Amino acid sequence: MNYPYQIEIPECKFIMNALEVKQLIKNFNRREVVRSISFCAEKGQLLALLGPSGCGKTTTLRMIAGLETADDGEIWIEGALASCGRKVVISQKQRHIGMVFQDLALWPHMTVYENIEFGLKANDLIRAERRKKIETVLNKINMQNYAREYPTRLSGGQQQLIAIARAIVTEPRLLLMDEPLSNIDVKLREDIRQEIRRIQQETQITTVYVTHDQDDAFLLADKIAVINNGILEQIGIPEEIYSSPTSLFVANFVGEANIMQVKIIGKDKVLTPWGELVCNTKGREGKNAYLFFRPHQAVIDDSGHCYGTIINRDFVAGGYKYRVSTSGIEFKLQDQTRHDIGKFIKFSIRKMDILFF
Amino acid sequence: MQKKLTLVFFFTLFLCTTFLPIVWMFGNSVYEEGRFSFVYYKDIFLTLKYGKVISNSLILASITTIVSCLIGVPAGFFLAKTNLPLKNIFKICFFIPLIIPSYIIGIAWVNLLGKTGFLNNVFSQYTMLSPESISDFIYSTYGSSFILSINLFPVVMLVTEYALKSINPRLEESGLVVGSVFQVFRQITFPLIAPAILSSMMIVFVLSLSEFGVPSLLQVNVLTTQIFTQFSAFYNEKAATAIAFPLIVITFVLIMLEKIYMRGKSFEISGRSSSNSTIQYNITWLNVVGITFCTFVMIVCIIIPLSTLIFNTKTLSAYHDAILLARNGITNSILFGSIGATFLTFIGFFLGYLSENIRSRLKSSAAIFIWLFFAVPATVIGVGLIKLCNRPEGIFQFIYGSLWIVIIGYVARFLPLSSRIMANYLKQIPQSMEEAGTVTGASWFRILGKILFPLQGYGLIATWLISFMFCIGELGTTVLVYPPGSETLPITLFTIMANSPTDIVSALSIIIIVMTLLPVGVFLVVSKYLVLKPKLGFQ
Repeated sequence: MNYPYQIEIPECKFIMNALEVKQLIKNFNRREVVRSISFCAEKGQLLALLGPSGCGKTTTLRMIAGLETADDGEIWIEGALASCGRKVVISQKQRHIGMVFQDLALWPHMTVYENIEFGLKANDLIRAERRKKIETVLNKINMQNYAREYPTRLSGGQQQLIAIARAIVTEPRLLLMDEPLSNIDVKLREDIRQEIRRIQQETQITTVYVTHDQDDAFLLADKIAVINNGILEQIGIPEEIYSSPTSLFVANFVGEANIMQVKIIGKDKVLTPWGELVCNTKGREGKNAYLFFRPHQAVIDDSGHCYGTIINRDFVAGGYKYRVSTSGIEFKLQDQTRHDIGKFIKFSIRKMDILFF
Repeated sequence: MQKKLTLVFFFTLFLCTTFLPIVWMFGNSVYEEGRFSFVYYKDIFLTLKYGKVISNSLILASITTIVSCLIGVPAGFFLAKTNLPLKNIFKICFFIPLIIPSYIIGIAWVNLLGKTGFLNNVFSQYTMLSPESISDFIYSTYGSSFILSINLFPVVMLVTEYALKSINPRLEESGLVVGSVFQVFRQITFPLIAPAILSSMMIVFVLSLSEFGVPSLLQVNVLTTQIFTQFSAFYNEKAATAIAFPLIVITFVLIMLEKIYMRGKSFEISGRSSSNSTIQYNITWLNVVGITFCTFVMIVCIIIPLSTLIFNTKTLSAYHDAILLARNGITNSILFGSIGATFLTFIGFFLGYLSENIRSRLKSSAAIFIWLFFAVPATVIGVGLIKLCNRPEGIFQFIYGSLWIVIIGYVARFLPLSSRIMANYLKQIPQSMEEAGTVTGASWFRILGKILFPLQGYGLIATWLISFMFCIGELGTTVLVYPPGSETLPITLFTIMANSPTDIVSALSIIIIVMTLLPVGVFLVVSKYLVLKPKLGFQ
């Protein structure tokens, strides 16, 4: 007899994860928003769901929280089945989840103290215990002096921290964060990002972090799941996602990349616009082979095998970004030296990869 | 579960109070002597018996809509787009005719233009018009339209002003950098607000079509007065209901036409901004035209009718006599109004919540459904309640013989309105506010008490006051259902009008005006001094 929990999920290395999502499906008005997504997060891990707007990442998060009901698939929280198909096994209340919303959703008619206290009261904690927990969590975020303030009187960053404090004060089994940094400016973003990382590592709460921002995902996450059009494209550690994308979408979406279709003409030999290049073809053959390299992985030098004409130059802090054309094919390069537009250059690719999609 | 049960309970309450009497009436009207019969509907649609009544109703509604639009659109424009001096005074004054019951404006103008009226004398002396023809005018469909236009033009004005202020200023600025002010107004601003104006015109049309007070006061034979006559004079409630049917059909057709016209146009008013950022036209001659126009409207619509009533009372003893005469009515009105407003606010809250939380495709259907109920004439609701509650069984007998029949009447009449107001307030609160409470594991009652109600404080107060205002002035349903000894102020006014001196009628009218304006005063104080709005940040 097959039990649901015996379904094998390739990326799950442990028997019991803090969160397991299996073949989750959700439709809105007959439109498939989430298409059979499966992933898991280990205890204490921060998993980022990364993808463009409207890809289904927030819907997935809301299904984990119990705010939406899935059409099919399973959600397991700490080894317990939370929902199976349309059936909710563990009610939203009993899932014991903390959540930080995109607009933070701090109740404006309550003080910071009351905002944090709400969840503790809902869990029937006595007053002394509540006070102790609130003081601890406010200390943790260094905002002990703001307990009696109303949220609208706080700065954007402070509000952010209060929203996090409210979510973690109940010591949830799972912390869900829905693009919490999307509404704050770049400078503050970096500080809050560090704070989130610090708090998460200190508390060791398993966290699912939804974002469309690659910086957020790469700087915060232990593991990244890239979602596109309701489908999980790739899941892995940040380095893996960056250097070995397994789909054309991930290769294009994550970081800046040059991808061009090439032909394998022999063992470790590919035919490129610059002629024959030697590259590890992983013993594979086939038509769908792509040469993949990042702009910083190429160096402009006169002894290079590759060549092209500079058609555009942008100055970015500390260097230049070039758009180079070879026989009508455009690609991006990065270099410290300034070269003129229209100049014919030679370059070599220090690290390249052949991907098969 | 708590949430589901509560919402089901309040939806059932809506069905019992608003839906049941109306549907029961229509069901009953097609059931004759144990079988289905459309005999009353045949009378309406296949004979010309009611042709005159239907055409009167349509003329009344059409003229009212056009005149309201001619006054309301320019008034809204001047208030939103120019720097008129005394702008705030105009704004408050133009709001008054909407708040006070329409029949009171009617009484004032009857006093002025009736055979012995002051203005009748002036006009007949200085023009070729005879006193009879002037008096005939006010007691006609056109006279009714005139009174209703005064009563309803603020709807068009408020919508126009709001729409003009809601236009993203960037849209106009991008036109102003290349074109003239008039070109921008003609080609950008006006097309953007046109759908909103059309909606307001539809509201005015529907409201004037189902109006009972003014046509009844001015003895104009329209559908609503015919319904009342059929029931109270001929005891023929089936015919009364059948006569209401064309009103529902017309309203439905209008809603559908509006829906077709508005398809894809909802994007036009985007980026709601504060009034400070609205583009204003600082043109001197436009200001002069504006102040002349607004002063004229204020004189005709507010100053003349109100000063007539005040002038007619002559002495303070008139007020004393009026209070003595209507003591019971005043207490009943306040009591019934308060209870009615409380019910309307709470049921309206849950119904509004329900309509905001249903699937988006059902949302517009729910809005049409609610609109249709609002178009049902007050007299039909009254007849429906009587037929439903006038039974020997215990609970029905208790309701029928007590103040509760009046309260249910108020709820049936104004629940569509209060639920729409509440829904609009609820819309302003992000859904995440409730969800943030839900994820903590709190019960729905707790979320309701600690999050939704406090956040909606302003909306609840506003809905209560608006409901109270409407309940105080309600006539069409109350006149049919009120039990002996439970008459309200409008009923007292209508009863004494025929055989009491003008000064007492005027004094009583003033008392009703004060009672309806009082909640507005309270509302202004609440919104200004309790500072609920800024604290919430997003309202």
